[in-house]
Amino acid sequence: MRKHKSDLIVLFTTLGLMALGLIVIYAIGPMRANVLNSTYGTNYGSHDFFIGQLRSVAISLVAFFLAFKVIPYQTLRKFAKPIMILGILLSALLWVLAMSGSSLAKCELGECRWYNLGPVSFQPAEFLKLSLTIYLADFLARKKEEGTIGKLKEFWLPLGLICGISLGLVVIAQGDLGTGVTLVAIIFGMLLVSGVSIKQYLLVFALVVIVAVGAVATSAHRMQRVDAWIATLTGSASSDSTYHIDNAMLAIGTGGFTGVGIGNSVQATGYLPESINDSVFAIMGETFGFVGLFLIVGVFATMLLRLLNVASHTAAPDERLLVVGVFSWVLAGVSVNIMAMTGLVPVTGITLPLLSYGGTSMLFVAFALGLSLQISCYTSREEVKNEDISSRGRIRGAHYASRRRSA
Amino acid sequence: MSRIKILRYLTLAALGIILTRLFFIQIIEHDAWVAKANEQHTLLETITAKRGEIYMLDGNDPVAVVLNQTVYQVIIDPAITPQDELQTLLDETVEKHANLDEVYNIEGLRYYIVARNVPYSSAVKIAEKGLGGVWLKESNARVYPEGEMASTVLGFVNADGIGQYGVEGSLNHLLSGKDGLLKTISDVNNVALSIGDNNIKIPAEDGKNVVLTIDRTLEKNVEEMTEQALASSVATNAAVLIMDPNNGEVLAMTTIPGYNPADYGNVKDASSYINQVTEVPYEPASICKTFTYSAAINEGKMTADTTYFNQGYVMVDGWKIQNAEQRASIYGTIDMRTALYWSLNSGSIQALKLLGDDPDSINQKGRELLYDYYYNKFRLGRPTDIELIEAVGYIEDPNEGWGRNSTYANMTFGQNLGITMIQTATAFSAVVNGGIWRTPTIVAGTLENGRLTPLESNAIEEQILKADTSAAMRSMLVNNRSYKVRAGIDKPGYDVGGKSGTAQVIRDGVYDDTYAELVGSYIGFVAPSGEMPSYVIMIKMWGEGQSVGSGEPMALFDTLSNYIINYLKIRPGGV
Repeated sequence: MRKHKSDLIVLFTTLGLMALGLIVIYAIGPMRANVLNSTYGTNYGSHDFFIGQLRSVAISLVAFFLAFKVIPYQTLRKFAKPIMILGILLSALLWVLAMSGSSLAKCELGECRWYNLGPVSFQPAEFLKLSLTIYLADFLARKKEEGTIGKLKEFWLPLGLICGISLGLVVIAQGDLGTGVTLVAIIFGMLLVSGVSIKQYLLVFALVVIVAVGAVATSAHRMQRVDAWIATLTGSASSDSTYHIDNAMLAIGTGGFTGVGIGNSVQATGYLPESINDSVFAIMGETFGFVGLFLIVGVFATMLLRLLNVASHTAAPDERLLVVGVFSWVLAGVSVNIMAMTGLVPVTGITLPLLSYGGTSMLFVAFALGLSLQISCYTSREEVKNEDISSRGRIRGAHYASRRRSA
Repeated sequence: MSRIKILRYLTLAALGIILTRLFFIQIIEHDAWVAKANEQHTLLETITAKRGEIYMLDGNDPVAVVLNQTVYQVIIDPAITPQDELQTLLDETVEKHANLDEVYNIEGLRYYIVARNVPYSSAVKIAEKGLGGVWLKESNARVYPEGEMASTVLGFVNADGIGQYGVEGSLNHLLSGKDGLLKTISDVNNVALSIGDNNIKIPAEDGKNVVLTIDRTLEKNVEEMTEQALASSVATNAAVLIMDPNNGEVLAMTTIPGYNPADYGNVKDASSYINQVTEVPYEPASICKTFTYSAAINEGKMTADTTYFNQGYVMVDGWKIQNAEQRASIYGTIDMRTALYWSLNSGSIQALKLLGDDPDSINQKGRELLYDYYYNKFRLGRPTDIELIEAVGYIEDPNEGWGRNSTYANMTFGQNLGITMIQTATAFSAVVNGGIWRTPTIVAGTLENGRLTPLESNAIEEQILKADTSAAMRSMLVNNRSYKVRAGIDKPGYDVGGKSGTAQVIRDGVYDDTYAELVGSYIGFVAPSGEMPSYVIMIKMWGEGQSVGSGEPMALFDTLSNYIINYLKIRPGGV
């Protein structure tokens, strides 16, 4: 297939969201610094968080354009296995380091999720999302080609092993339920379009739900979050555990129709925990009101629907799978984060893609979106009909018309 | 249906649910959330007015005896602050702090004041350490640089910032000023934010600085001399009042022992807070003969030379009222001057009889006249309106009740009544100053930018005795001390007069005739010879279960009067 222009909508929504994240961090970063300084005696300057976000955006843009323009996906696919192994090793190594009490493992509130690399920290779980997406695209496409999809030994066992290890490292070793939810979304999103039978799909899905419910029910700390969520839903008396949700909804609720305006957020002055990270959506709700949130959700919706559009116009199964993986990743981040902030689901500690403060998360989402954008250069004009049975893998025939308009 | 379509619908459904939820929270529930936010974000804080300082005089210059100092409370959040580091920090910086083991054992505790009254120097060290979850809250502490000096006059300020006892209590309205109000949106640490347009700030009106008429040096030395007198006496307590009879100004006032107002919480017995001069009515005993004599002389019923027959006792309503002094030389016909010199109860009862125009018995007219002088003219058993907390006391009605004659006979020598030292000394001032009763005062005014402004006052100045009466009384009071002149104690060139009083203590409603416990008092004045008095001194000494005669207060008077002549540089007269 001839290369044509990339999907401009995905490009501009990505860049737009990054810019919006910068604006919001610019407005509330000083408040965050102030709160941390007065509560923990730290010594943040008022623009430290903005500079941090600026740095993250800069690095993310580099990754974005590397994935978009420089590294051909097919080259990357060749390294799918080593990338997957690297992803697992990085998380496993962190676990070992944390267990041995090494200062290289950075822990917060008892959970060790970061590598401590001097001035910067690195969250291997974010890399694991990317590696799993790249690996599953390769794995599922390969199995489809081999015709072994749905077979226990050739398909389900290796798949279960890889996914189980990944989830185990993230959820159990790192205690990161948010990333776990994203991984599950990536896995099931990609599985859905892999050609596996609906019957098997639903069976495996049910199995995972049972395991997940069991995992939550047996963990006091997770049950506490569920209890808090139920308390919020039923409007019962607030307590320490409902504090986060209460204040997120308070921020969103006070925003009203048009919001209080940039720099006027009161909730960001310390009432709302994680105001620049996981709760940034709530601060945006207070600042920009319903109009603003409608637009932000609209931007995400546009991006997500465009990604699906790219997928449905991509003939190559591996590429289509990859785009669906990236789509699932972003959808999980957006919907679980916002639903937690509005009390629709329990708080899991998941970042809002491209908007939350935090370098690693943005870096890999940006890279993944860059790859999707690269793939969008090779879509066909028509929707690929029988997308589930494809054998035209890497053949880019001339019969796929270019999207380029004949000018 | 294509599987990507499923994802498309899933996306639309998820985002649709989110938008519906957002609409619900942001549009429908908006007002409720705003109300809740206001409740959470609004900081309503009183801006504490700066309390006025208290000054005494050093000559004519005000000197501060009660100051303000900014101190700090150390507040911690046990969930954030590391205990070990905090322990080390507090041990190094503050004198006294809470037991951290106990604090950290309280479950769910978020904020706790671990140290109070931390001075600035220590607060800086704590701030520099920068431990997480540690706040310093500014508060005001009163500083009393003179320690226990005049403590019962000054009073103290309690933990709520309200003045208690003394001037701090009586002039609290003046000293405390008016608190302001701050209503503002605040951050989570209650730091005011400039967000929002409903912020209100009403500034505080600071309290006034009050200057007392008390002379600091005089006060200090009087207290020292009083303590020395107590050291060699069976008495354990003393109260001293020195005032200028010409304007009612108090020059010194003390109750010994005092207490340290900065450490008022550690006072064992709350009675230590009491100003004995103004807050305790008692029986000054024979000192009151001065008032009975003044009444009879002023009414023209007697003079110093009027005579009566002294048989050592007087029978009133079947009660035998004895004289304390029973020496043979004063039996028979004596004059009133001699009766006062020996402090004979028969003499003052005689004055009461003369007030009723019947030299042989007490009658209603005499009682009513004495009541008129005691209560209406001398204002005994009534507040003097000095700027301090005052007890009222009581003067019995001349007609109501049983045994009026014996009651009034007792009242002529200062028993069967309850009056305070300030009432007594103010009345005595009127006796010796030419006959003018003046409202006593302890406040010279308020001080602002170095300017002293007198308080608005409703002070009374009333001629209650003729000048002649006053002169006659002065002469008799000086005569009382004629032997002090002969002994060289009272210096030539000065008229020093005085009257002693020894009161029995009432036990179970009757006077204890065993004299096991006596309260000794002395009051006197000093004047340049032939002139008006410069000051009046009143002293009261007592001790639980101790028989304190008037000799000890009198000796202290001798010391004080001579000291004050020198200190105030009162030149001798009549030379």
